[in-house]
Amino acid sequence: MDTIFLMNSLWVMVGAVLVILMIGGFILLETGSTRMKNAGHIAGKTILTFGISSIVFWAVGYGLIFGKGNPLIGFSDFLYSGYDIDGLPLSGSVFFLFQLAFAGISLTIAFGGFAERAKLGAYLVFALLFSVIVYPPIAHWIWGGGWLAEHGKQDFAGSTVVHLTGAMAALAATILLKPRIGKFNKDGSANNIAGHNQVFTALSVLILWVGWFGFNAGSTLSVDSAFFGFVAMNTNLAAAAGTIAAMIISWIVLGKADVPMMLNGALAGLVAITASCAFVETWAAVLIGFIAGILVFYSIRFFEKVKIDDPIAALSVHGTAGVWGTLSTGFFATKELATVGKPGLFYGGGLHQLGVQALGVVTCAAFAFIVSFILLAIMKKAMNGLRVTEEEEIIGLDMSEHGSYGYPELLKAEQKINA
Amino acid sequence: MEDNIYSKIVEFKQEHINEAVHEHFKLNHLHDEIIKQVVEVAINQVIDQHGPPPSPFSFFVMGSAGRLEQSVWSDQDHGIIYHDQNDEVKSYFLTLGREISKGLFQAGYPYCDGGVMASNPFWCKSIAEWQQQLTKWVLESSWESIRYLLIFLDGRSFYGESTYVDQLKKHLYQTTNKEQLLTKSLRNTLHLKKGINVLGKLLVETHGPHAGALNIKEIGLYPYVNAVRLLSIKEKRLETSTLLRLEKIPDSCFPFAGKQFYQQQFLKLLQYRLLFGDHTNYDSGHYLAIHMLTKEQTKEIKEIIKNGAALFHHVRRLLEKDDTDGDE
Repeated sequence: MDTIFLMNSLWVMVGAVLVILMIGGFILLETGSTRMKNAGHIAGKTILTFGISSIVFWAVGYGLIFGKGNPLIGFSDFLYSGYDIDGLPLSGSVFFLFQLAFAGISLTIAFGGFAERAKLGAYLVFALLFSVIVYPPIAHWIWGGGWLAEHGKQDFAGSTVVHLTGAMAALAATILLKPRIGKFNKDGSANNIAGHNQVFTALSVLILWVGWFGFNAGSTLSVDSAFFGFVAMNTNLAAAAGTIAAMIISWIVLGKADVPMMLNGALAGLVAITASCAFVETWAAVLIGFIAGILVFYSIRFFEKVKIDDPIAALSVHGTAGVWGTLSTGFFATKELATVGKPGLFYGGGLHQLGVQALGVVTCAAFAFIVSFILLAIMKKAMNGLRVTEEEEIIGLDMSEHGSYGYPELLKAEQKINA
Repeated sequence: MEDNIYSKIVEFKQEHINEAVHEHFKLNHLHDEIIKQVVEVAINQVIDQHGPPPSPFSFFVMGSAGRLEQSVWSDQDHGIIYHDQNDEVKSYFLTLGREISKGLFQAGYPYCDGGVMASNPFWCKSIAEWQQQLTKWVLESSWESIRYLLIFLDGRSFYGESTYVDQLKKHLYQTTNKEQLLTKSLRNTLHLKKGINVLGKLLVETHGPHAGALNIKEIGLYPYVNAVRLLSIKEKRLETSTLLRLEKIPDSCFPFAGKQFYQQQFLKLLQYRLLFGDHTNYDSGHYLAIHMLTKEQTKEIKEIIKNGAALFHHVRRLLEKDDTDGDE
C-alpha cells in the first residue's frame, strides 16, 4: 500500500482522536463555568449528545455533506460502511471519523446556549434535528463541494462551518429559553452567576488548545510537506495572542485581570484562527488572535447588555470570534497560501475575497439561526416548553433530570444547613 | 408580646432624619442623639429587671459611628468596658449589651455581621481583661487580631465613664513597640480597591444590584480613613474622627498639598455619599449613582479618589521609611 496514503491516514486519525478529546474539554468548560447543581447533568448530556450525533452522522449526516448531490445538499453514501473514497488520499473511515468529530463539536457548541435550564428531552430532540437539518447543509456548502466552495470561500477548519453554526443555534436557543433565574434584576442590571470551578475552566482551555492541533492541523488531511506543522504553529500563536489580549483589555477597562475573560480570550483566538490558519502568515495569525481576544471581551459585554443570557459565552467565543476569523482571511490570505479562493486585501487581492467571506458568513449564520430558531420553536410548542420548571431549575438539573447530584455529598450538606 | 419600648425613638428618628440627610455633621449629631436615647432606654430596662449597674462602666461605639462618619444607614459596632471583674458583673453587662443591640436594631441599625457588639463577650470586658486582650492582639499580630486593634482604635466613648477608652488606648500605645504596630497595621490595610482605570474612567460595579454605581465606601473613603488612622497611630493620638485626626496630626506628615486640603476632600466625599448614594437601605447607601452626577462632579469625584490614593501612598512611604530607619 502507498506509504503516503498510510501516513495521511495515521495523521488524520491522530487528528480525529484529538478533536474527540475536545468533547472532554467542553465538558470541563461548561461545568466549570456553571453551578455545581447542574454539573453532573452537563457532563453526562455532553457524552450522550455526542453519541446521538455520531449515530446520526453515520446514518445520514455524512451522506448529506459529502454525498453526490447538488450545490445545496449531498444525497448518497448514507449508512456509510467504511469503504475508501475515490480520489481521497487517505482511508475513508479515518476521514469519516474526523468529520464525525467536527459535527459533534458543532453540536456541543450549540448546547452551550441551553446550559442550566433546558430539559434533557430538548437536548435529545435537538441533537437529532441539528445533526440532520442544520449542520450538514452548511458543511456541504463549504466543504462538500457545495455552492460556497465553488464560490471560493476560505474556511480551513471551520470557523464558520463548526463554530459559527453552533453559536447561531446557541443564540436561537438562548433567545427562546430566556435567561436563567436570577441572571437579570428588575431594573435591567445583570448579576454575575459565577461558575463553580475556575480550575476546570482553565483545564478545559488547555485541553481544547491541544485538541485544536487535531482540529486545525489535522484539517490538512495529509502529511504533504509537513504543512500541518505550520498550521499548528499559527494555531498556537493565535491562542496565545488571544489570551494576552483579553487579559490586557480586561485590565484596561475593568481594572482587574479577570480569569474567565482571559480564558475566553484563548478560546476566541483559537476559533478565529480556525478559518485562516492555513492561509495566513505567522504575524497575521498573532494579530488575528489578538483582535479576537479584544472582540470577545466587548462581545460578552454586549450580549449581557441586550439581556441575552449566555452562560458559557458560546455566542461570543464561537460566534463573534467565528465571524472575525472567517473575515480575517479576506484581509490576510496570502497569494502563496490561498489554495482556495483569492488573496486578501493586504496581499493585492482587493476586496474580492473579503466579499466572498462576508457573503459566506452572512448566509451561513442566517441559515443556522433561522433554521435552528424554527426547529426550536416547533419543539417548544410540541414538547410543552424547552425549559425545566422553576422548581427544577432551582434544585438543579442534576436532580430534576437525572435524580442524583454530580456532587452529592456537598449539596446534601448544603441542604442540611439551609433546612 | 413585649411592648416596644423603643417605639418613641423610632418615631423621633423618622421625624428628624429627613432634615439631616443632606448634611454630614447634622446627620452624625442626630445619630448620636438616637443612639444615646436607645442606650438610656436600654439601661433603664435592665435596671428595672436586674437592678442598677454593679460597677462603673463605659459604653463605646466603633466603626463609622466611632469616627462620626455614619451615612443615612449605619450598622452597629460597639463595646462595653466595666471596672469590677466578676461573673455577675460580666453577666449584667452582657445583658445590657444585648438590650442595647436589640434597641439599636429596632431603631434601624442592622446588627454587625462580624459580631462587633457589646452583646458579644469578645467586646464586653472588664478593664483588666481589655488590657490583656489588647496585649494579646498585639502579640498575636495576625491579620485578624490587628484588624480588631484597628477597630478598637476607632472606639469613641459614648456613655458612662468617659476615660476608660482613652485609658486603654494609652495603655496600648505605652506597652507596644510603635514601629511594630504601625508596620502590622499598614500591612492590614494595604489593599486599595481600584476606582479609576488607565483610561481615566471610573470603575463602577459591572454586575449585581448596584451595577453602574461606584462603591464609594471602599474606593473613596477607605484610603482616607486608613491613611489617617495610620498617621494617628504614628502620633499616638486618641481622636477617632478622620477630620479631627487630620486636625491633630502635624503638617509634616502630609504631602505638599497640606492637611486642610485633605480635610476638604474627605468632607466633600462624605457629602457626595449623602447626596448621591441610594439611601433606601444600608447596603445601597455605599454606592454612588454616577449617572446622576454632572460632568464637573464626576471630575471632582475622580480627583478626590486620586488624592485619597496619593495620600495613602504617601503615608505608606513615610511609614516604610520610618520602619527602615528604625531598623538601623
